[in-house]
Amino acid sequence: MNEGFDADAEPKPDEHVPEAPVTGKVRLDAAWGSTEGDEDLSVQTTVASKNEGHIFKQQYKPWEGELNPRWMRNWAILRHHLLGIFKKGHRPWGVPIRLFLLVVFIASLTDVGMTIVSGLIGDSGLHSIWGVSRDNLYGHVLGFFPRNMLYYPVIAALLVGGVISEDRQHGTSAMYFSRPITRFDYVSMKFLAVALIQALIILVSLGLYYFAEIVSMGRGWAWILDTFPMFLAAALSGILLIFTYTSIGLALSSVSKGKFFPGIALLSIVLGTKVLAFIASNLFDRDILYLLSPYDCLAHVGQAIIGTQPTYDQYAWTWSLASLAAMNALALFVLSSRVSSMEVTRE
Amino acid sequence: MDSDLVIKTTNLTKSYGPHVALNKLNISVPHGATGLLGPNGAGKSTFLKTILGLIQATEGEGKVLGLDIRTKGDEIRSRIGYMPEYDSLNPDMEAIHQVRYSGELLGMNPIIAQARAHETLQYVGLGEQRYRNIGSYSTGMKQATKLACALIHDPELIIADEPSNGLDLAARNHMIETLTNTVQLGNRSVLMASHLMDDVERVCDNFILLHKGKLAAQGRIEDLKGFDREIEIHVWGGASRLYEAMTDKGMSVRREGRVMRILHEDEDTTSAILGCAAEVGAQIRRMHEYEASLEDLFLSIMENLGYEVKSSDDLLASPAEARKVDAPEHMGGGAS
Repeated sequence: MNEGFDADAEPKPDEHVPEAPVTGKVRLDAAWGSTEGDEDLSVQTTVASKNEGHIFKQQYKPWEGELNPRWMRNWAILRHHLLGIFKKGHRPWGVPIRLFLLVVFIASLTDVGMTIVSGLIGDSGLHSIWGVSRDNLYGHVLGFFPRNMLYYPVIAALLVGGVISEDRQHGTSAMYFSRPITRFDYVSMKFLAVALIQALIILVSLGLYYFAEIVSMGRGWAWILDTFPMFLAAALSGILLIFTYTSIGLALSSVSKGKFFPGIALLSIVLGTKVLAFIASNLFDRDILYLLSPYDCLAHVGQAIIGTQPTYDQYAWTWSLASLAAMNALALFVLSSRVSSMEVTRE
Repeated sequence: MDSDLVIKTTNLTKSYGPHVALNKLNISVPHGATGLLGPNGAGKSTFLKTILGLIQATEGEGKVLGLDIRTKGDEIRSRIGYMPEYDSLNPDMEAIHQVRYSGELLGMNPIIAQARAHETLQYVGLGEQRYRNIGSYSTGMKQATKLACALIHDPELIIADEPSNGLDLAARNHMIETLTNTVQLGNRSVLMASHLMDDVERVCDNFILLHKGKLAAQGRIEDLKGFDREIEIHVWGGASRLYEAMTDKGMSVRREGRVMRILHEDEDTTSAILGCAAEVGAQIRRMHEYEASLEDLFLSIMENLGYEVKSSDDLLASPAEARKVDAPEHMGGGAS
């Protein structure tokens, strides 16, 4: 093709030196090869490459692992409910519930903040109002306004609302009972989860309050030994409160298929009976109806064990304790009977 | 052999007061896929709850995977995967988390359960959708998620309660294919309760038929289908005359219009049909062996048990086009 062209030869002065070897093709031909194959008789067909792969290939993968024992299954239920408060991927608690929990937790720390402030500025008047005392420890757990009117019953109502009723509503009870989960494990882990979330607010803030007093006021061992029984009594009152609200709330949740009814019903029981007892007391000067009010009974027992001045002085505090025991027994009976009737095949 | 049986019950009885829900059931479910059939109230749900160890049998005994249903309920439920008929998923959770949680409830380590949740969701065809909220899923996707929950621990026996209920054709096919693959590729056993006979026929080799708490029939579907073989004919003109001629000769004939099914008693049945047709001057346009579907058999058994069978349309569900070639009424065609 390049006959007579010697790339190594020196060019002569007048000689035209081609930039590229002359091949008889115009530039377009060289670039695109437009003349190549035009005269061929063979037919060129373009075959679209066929995708032989599978978009979805179903492949069964066996699993040889071992299943852990009962405590791990129970831990899974507890963990599912507890972690759902903090992160995604576990029981989906609603955003309003999580926000309310945060707000109440911060609000519950009011006495913590004020104790620290009184310690910082050295104001004994402020400290006498907010610092740790028998009455303030009682007030932190069982004070009616705002804690037992706006905070704790509302938290309990929000938490218990859907815990069991949603398993009925969505049929997720089948998920538990078709697995090696007993009814007792199911209900006890749910109870514990709800109680622990409440404890996180009521008892943790109580502990922080006591700790803040020690740190900000520089309390010594003598003061701690002196006040620790009061603190324990307040904590015990808190546990009683959490247990009672949870058992009544879960009983209501177990008889329902939605989360609205149990929540409203719990608030109605806690606040309604309190109002009823208050009205009866004012109209007829008889306090007996307080025995129907979970809050009044808790407050009465709390006053007795913490040692504050009782406001329910017509009757012995043991009546309130008996009433609380009866309320809890009834609630747990309803809860257990309703949970034992939950179905696997249909709900 | 008993060692090949995944479920075996002997005189299994469950009573609720005077009501006997399960009446002396002697059931043997072999390894593989088995369909659990029966009308509403037949005792299917009670049977499932009993073999899951959730309710105690009144009498008799039963074993699932060699474990006593009276004493080993927890272990049985650890080794089987149960896919409920009704909704059993939290609509506010993502599928991956729901499936992982179902594994954790069995005692799986959370990290392992998460890895298995990915695998099983991939297996049931939800690999790309696993981070979506279940509430946004279609019915088919929810059913697939329930199946993934049942499969997460690779159980030896999967109990699927109406797995294709409410699914469209594509989703139904996918579910059937998945269950079939689980049996064939995974070498697992499936007990499938369904009222869709076609689905049971596609997945299962064996069946159990319950009726009013009693065992009506059990065995291989193929054996049952070969039990009553029929010849189906499409007649042009004189269908009524042919029907009468055949019944007069003692043949067992089921008829709807111009389509008839005659019990294939022996090798002379075909020539007897043709002889009758020649006698009465009826033309037979089509003649073939009819293979009864499981639904036909189910309805036949139910009829024998005293149930009212729906209509002859159900029994003779021949395609409409087949009848269009028949003679019109004024040309002597049989009344439809």
